[in-house]
Amino acid sequence: MIVETCDLPAHELVRRLKQGEITAVGILESTVARIDAVEGRAPTTAPYQAEAMDQEKIHAYITLTLDRAHEQAQAVDRALEAGEDPGVLAGVPISIKDIFCLRGTPSTAGSRILENFISPYTATPASRLEAAGAVTLGKVNLDEFTYGSSNESSAFLPPPGNPWDPKRVPGGSSGASAAAVAAGESTISLGTDTAGSIRQPASFCGVVGLKPTYGRVSRYGLIAFASSLDCPGPVTRDVTDAALALQVIAGQDPYDATTAAIPVDDYLSGLEKGVAGMRIGLSPDYFRLRYPDPETGELQEQPVAPEIAAAVRQAAAILAEAGAEIVEDVAMPNTQYGIPAYFVISRVEAASNLHRYDGVKYGLRYEGAVEDMIELYQKSRGQGFGPQPKLRILMGMYVSAEQYEKDYYQKALRVRTLIRRDFETAFDPQGDHRLDCLLTPTTPTTAFEIGRVYGDTVLMQYADLLTVPANHAGIPGISIPAGLDSLNLPIGIQLLGPDFSEAKLLRVARAYEMATDAEAWRKGKPKVLEAT
Amino acid sequence: MEAFETVIGLETHVQLNTLSKIFCACKADSWGDPANSNICPICTGLPGVLPTLNRAVVEKAVLLAAALQADAIQDLSYLARKNYFYPDLPKGYQISQYNEPLARGGCLELPLPDGSVRVVGIEKLHIEEDAGKTIRQGDRRLIDFNRCGVPLAEVVTKPDLRSADEVAQYLIRLRQIVRWIGVSEGNMEKGQMRCDANISIRALGSEELNTKTEIKNLNSIDAARMAVQAEIERQVEEVREGGAIHPWTLNWDDENNTLFKMRAKETEADYRYFREPDLLPIRLVSSWRGAILEELPELPLERRARFIEAYRLPEYDAEILTEERSFSDYFEDALAEYGGEAKTVSNWLMNDVLRLIRERDVLAAELRLRPEHLAEIIHLLDDKKITTNIAKELLDKVQESGKAPSSIVEEEGLSQVSDQAALRKMAEQVLADNPDQVATYRGGKTTVIGWFVGQIMKQSKGKANPQMVREILEELLAN
Repeated sequence: MIVETCDLPAHELVRRLKQGEITAVGILESTVARIDAVEGRAPTTAPYQAEAMDQEKIHAYITLTLDRAHEQAQAVDRALEAGEDPGVLAGVPISIKDIFCLRGTPSTAGSRILENFISPYTATPASRLEAAGAVTLGKVNLDEFTYGSSNESSAFLPPPGNPWDPKRVPGGSSGASAAAVAAGESTISLGTDTAGSIRQPASFCGVVGLKPTYGRVSRYGLIAFASSLDCPGPVTRDVTDAALALQVIAGQDPYDATTAAIPVDDYLSGLEKGVAGMRIGLSPDYFRLRYPDPETGELQEQPVAPEIAAAVRQAAAILAEAGAEIVEDVAMPNTQYGIPAYFVISRVEAASNLHRYDGVKYGLRYEGAVEDMIELYQKSRGQGFGPQPKLRILMGMYVSAEQYEKDYYQKALRVRTLIRRDFETAFDPQGDHRLDCLLTPTTPTTAFEIGRVYGDTVLMQYADLLTVPANHAGIPGISIPAGLDSLNLPIGIQLLGPDFSEAKLLRVARAYEMATDAEAWRKGKPKVLEAT
Repeated sequence: MEAFETVIGLETHVQLNTLSKIFCACKADSWGDPANSNICPICTGLPGVLPTLNRAVVEKAVLLAAALQADAIQDLSYLARKNYFYPDLPKGYQISQYNEPLARGGCLELPLPDGSVRVVGIEKLHIEEDAGKTIRQGDRRLIDFNRCGVPLAEVVTKPDLRSADEVAQYLIRLRQIVRWIGVSEGNMEKGQMRCDANISIRALGSEELNTKTEIKNLNSIDAARMAVQAEIERQVEEVREGGAIHPWTLNWDDENNTLFKMRAKETEADYRYFREPDLLPIRLVSSWRGAILEELPELPLERRARFIEAYRLPEYDAEILTEERSFSDYFEDALAEYGGEAKTVSNWLMNDVLRLIRERDVLAAELRLRPEHLAEIIHLLDDKKITTNIAKELLDKVQESGKAPSSIVEEEGLSQVSDQAALRKMAEQVLADNPDQVATYRGGKTTVIGWFVGQIMKQSKGKANPQMVREILEELLAN
């Protein structure tokens, strides 16, 4: 089987580049050819009419920045020729979720209201990637302002398709990031994770998605959704690439007061040291979905998809084989409150974060005649925001209103503390479990069909039930591929660890990756690539 | 007629004089700069930006809280978002502090003209960012974002003020303190201090708090006094006529000296405050607090009392000498150099040095006439080496040249002329030149001698010893 350049992981590209086997321009050309083959028509905000072809294509990129990419690739090749160090990500094609500001590019957040906003500055993690030699191909699609788990809420349509079955969603909100990495349209993508927005699409698309500890990676330049939960992180082909990318983007930033002063670990040197002696937990609370019925408030319960549960148990067996100790029955009782608490906290912050889009300074302004300023606000925001931002503003304003905030916002913050406490107990080195990490399914199901869930905001939100606790607690999590289900759709498993334990999570993930290297499912190819 | 008492509380915004803004690196003070010249992605709230707190803002605010004798400067306080829509508020929320402010409690003492002291309680002090400025041009609104992110300390009083004059006194004293401790220039005309007044009235003796009105954005002490007085009179008249006070928000029109209604505030706006997730809590660890408070100087009223006590100065002198810190430092330095009567130095400061300061619009500390120069001049005078006139001229000459007084006296030959023979010769000449005046004197109008003294002082360029001149003239005219 011939592997095309654009399908290689970043560490392999960099190795070959430094050996002189390939050039950065060559890598770029291979990737651009792949984009031409699988991308399909460009997503726009024009009235959307679905076409048959749309169901076969990826539609990942809102904006391609090929001129920028060519300049960067040529600079890498020149540096190599001159014997200079071109950086640890030299020549690696990357895509940036269009929630990050990138100087001189439209930075749209997938919304009409920012369709014409050209950022005058670059987000810290994006500039760190570029400074390490990465080649920026463009800005990829997402749910509008990251509000969703399927990418269907973007104002830029057609929506991205899942490379394994383009009739299905790639997940969200970093859906096009995961789709682009899976389909060879970029080697690494910079995503964001507020409730699972990196891990869930990584799981749906069969790639690796890492949500770092809150404060590990700067949020400067990330167009905010829920400021206390948002985390930038990489979507990659494999675990080594995730370590490589995190190494580049992690660390304190004078422009983000919430970044931690704690030194960044070396994520690569211990990556393959294995899991001998590690304590890895399984929790029954991550094998069932418990949630209050939106109508009655009664607690409902459903198991996660059996094939996914089986993949997790299989992974536990593999890790046990590799020397880890599996700790069963770890109680995580507050997991079930993760989504309701998230509904409240994220929407209060989101409504406030969206205040600045008023049509006065930048972005969409209503063109027609208005009576006064208030009408200008109403018309501009009414026209600029899609249904998801509107719903979140409504709910955010409601639960933060003076007469309700004690019952909702303050209570949700207390729930958040309880969720954090579940993890602290599980990871406590003096506690009953003394876990190094927790092994869970990433998602309750594999990728669902476009149009099947969209419209049911509550149901859609439950796609994040198993990922959102990490955001509440601020801890790191990683989703890695762990097989294919009967529909040939990727299954993801998740590892969650204590604050700043990324090195350890990556090590466990890499151990699993090495142990399953020869598995038949690893040879599986996304459907869109079958024709190529 | 029923007697009323006025209840007033003030919210004063003090612009802290940090170099950069509160959450970004832009220059904080834009006075005189073109619109939108000190702005960046952060203070204009572009998508994706984050604030980072300027520590100097906390330090200056802590110092102010200490100077206002805060009961509690908090170890832990939080910034919060105050959400509202306005075009000159680029993020759609103001980063402020809400129910977890930097400091609580405290007081400001106002010595009143009748000798009593009104102690005004301070409710709280918090830090926040300023918004921009909307300029109306016909039916267009232009926005200047320079002020966005300018650091402010908001000082909220208890409802302890009782009259428009007390409001003015409060502002004068607060301005004195912020300048004294060096946290703000406190110049209201430049917007460095702005004040909102909450006003209600009640029957004298009542403890009730009635419906209040709020006057926004008072930007001079005179405006504050006039606006508050006008509103008190309006409320009294309204109630006397059987009307009710409504919770209006009012503005003061500086041009026409009238109040006008901004909006009827029937319900409190809901700002949906919540803790700012983009910033860490402000942790005032003890080493930091200690380092800040080490900078707290002796405060004006303390110094005023000490001057009266230690130097036996009249209250009037002590008040003027402690109006401004570097002036009072100047006084003490000059007195230490001089070593003589405090009142003598005080007289020189209150009259002549203050004139120099005002003419040149500088601080005492910026004068080239240093305290030791002043002390030297007073010594020269005491030793009768120069005349009073020369002493006063010397002040200006030292200020202009920066040279020591004694060397100027030397170089310019300004020593007092006490040579009997020389003075006698000048006197004889003057008498000879003015026979009419001599006749007048001898005719009984002896006050004309002053005119002769003046002539001789003029001829001697002020150097003649005026006492000796007078004696010689008296002697000559008697003959």
